[in-house]
Amino acid sequence: MSPVTTTLTCIACPIGCALRLTHEGRDIVELAGATCDRGAKYAAEELIDPRRQLSTTVAIEGARSARLPVKVTRPVPRDRVLEAVAAIHRLRVRAPVRAGEVLLEALLGEEGLAVVATRSLGRVGP
Amino acid sequence: MLGRMEGDYDVVVVGGGPAGLAAAIGARDAGATRVLVVDREDEAGGILLQCIHAGFGLHYFKEELTGPEYAERFVARALDRDIDVVGSAYVSGAGLDSDGTRRVRVMREGHGIRTVRSRAMVLAMGCRERTRGALHIPGTRPAGVLTAGLAQRFVNVMGLLPGRRVAILGSGDIGLIMARRLTLEGCEVVGVFELMPFSNGLTRNVVQCLGDFGIPLHLSTTVVEIHGQDRVDKITVAPVGADLAPDLSRCREVACDTLLLSIGLVPENELSQGLGVELDVVTQGPRVSSTLETSLPGVFACGNVLHVHDLCDYVTEEALLAGRFAGELAGGVKRPRDNIRVVPGDNVRYCVPHTLAPGREHTIYLRSERPLRPAAIRVGDLVRRKLGFVTPAEMITFRIKPDVLDRFHGEALRIDLLGEPAGPHLAGAEP
Repeated sequence: MSPVTTTLTCIACPIGCALRLTHEGRDIVELAGATCDRGAKYAAEELIDPRRQLSTTVAIEGARSARLPVKVTRPVPRDRVLEAVAAIHRLRVRAPVRAGEVLLEALLGEEGLAVVATRSLGRVGP
Repeated sequence: MLGRMEGDYDVVVVGGGPAGLAAAIGARDAGATRVLVVDREDEAGGILLQCIHAGFGLHYFKEELTGPEYAERFVARALDRDIDVVGSAYVSGAGLDSDGTRRVRVMREGHGIRTVRSRAMVLAMGCRERTRGALHIPGTRPAGVLTAGLAQRFVNVMGLLPGRRVAILGSGDIGLIMARRLTLEGCEVVGVFELMPFSNGLTRNVVQCLGDFGIPLHLSTTVVEIHGQDRVDKITVAPVGADLAPDLSRCREVACDTLLLSIGLVPENELSQGLGVELDVVTQGPRVSSTLETSLPGVFACGNVLHVHDLCDYVTEEALLAGRFAGELAGGVKRPRDNIRVVPGDNVRYCVPHTLAPGREHTIYLRSERPLRPAAIRVGDLVRRKLGFVTPAEMITFRIKPDVLDRFHGEALRIDLLGEPAGPHLAGAEP
């Protein structure tokens, strides 16, 4: 495998260093542009297994608002964010619900990756 | 207690968002026994309730929470302390009694108007978004032009989609976050247009909200016309020169049915002005002393009504302090007046607070006028410290130790930011 060079903007702090990353598969051969050690750590994670925190809303019935905010309990692979959102959006919830309540387990088939409510919503109306 | 308002109070807090809740807690913890929070929405929590993304609490709770989680924790803490919180209510004015207490007029849905007496007041009304009118964008007046925060409320709370093909003017954090949010909801975000040569949002938001989804960020570009009869059908954008004037010879059209505006926030000070509080022309918030007291004795201010913050955690920190000073004042603590004026110097857009007193530790919040790297802060001839990198999007928090001001004998303390002008290096940003 021959080395490939890609560029990343480091997000470890507000400077936003432009990292030039040369790698062979998962091995970083050369890293340029980082002005501190955190750049190397960020680049390694971003290269091997980039993940993102994910929040969205799901439909809720019988509550004061139409949507219930939810989040995933740990970051999802960056390339599967849209797939994860599609699965979450299929959920239908009825009030009442408590913040932290698990609404879906094993998102994307990943053990320990759950979808939880991020607010409590009481039941209103019939 | 939720919904209870009776008798007189030590401290009345106007606004039940993150600033108001923290101020109430700060006041209670400083010994105020009777604290009331008045909020105009039907529940407390403020704008946090629609900020469903994570990124709150890293400083205060040492864990990353979403907005609704942060709000719920603070409401619970307030109620645990037996603080009264009323919703669907407005403070419509306040008068000063001869004994120094204030008569606060509260107008409340279903309860009419009542006057409560309070020893101290904390203003925590937050801020609101600048709208199309602030920029005078030419063109027609179709539906589909709205602020990013309003779109956020539509999508996250009400479950309504503002459009399908969305352009965003301004790269403030709310705009960036809405670019991602709308993408996740199935909209096409055609681009973010930013007048300045740098993003006004946090770098991590540029990367995670735009970069991840291939949404282009067009720096030094602005919207010069909005088109559409009943609904937006396109916008005209143009690059701007160093003087920020658009170059109309290089216009191009962008098809879209929605234009979101993320062009800045303005502290919401109608009540403050009605009370006669003196405002700072730069922050558009009250001028405050080192105890966050406004020009009116016993009236304090904190959070985005004082100056617009970029992190909720900083609002909390400032509000706890304002609440503490309000609580202490209500308990009879008297402090000497500040005798040092803070003067924003080179590259400094503003500083808060506006005055200081020796003998106490101070937290000074300031914002730079432009990105600088490497940067340093100079406080009179007392302190000079390296900061690395500063940008207008990131508020600078600077602490001054109690003994430092003992060496200062002047009346005005000038604060400068030193450094070379710099632009953040954003991969993927294009002119």
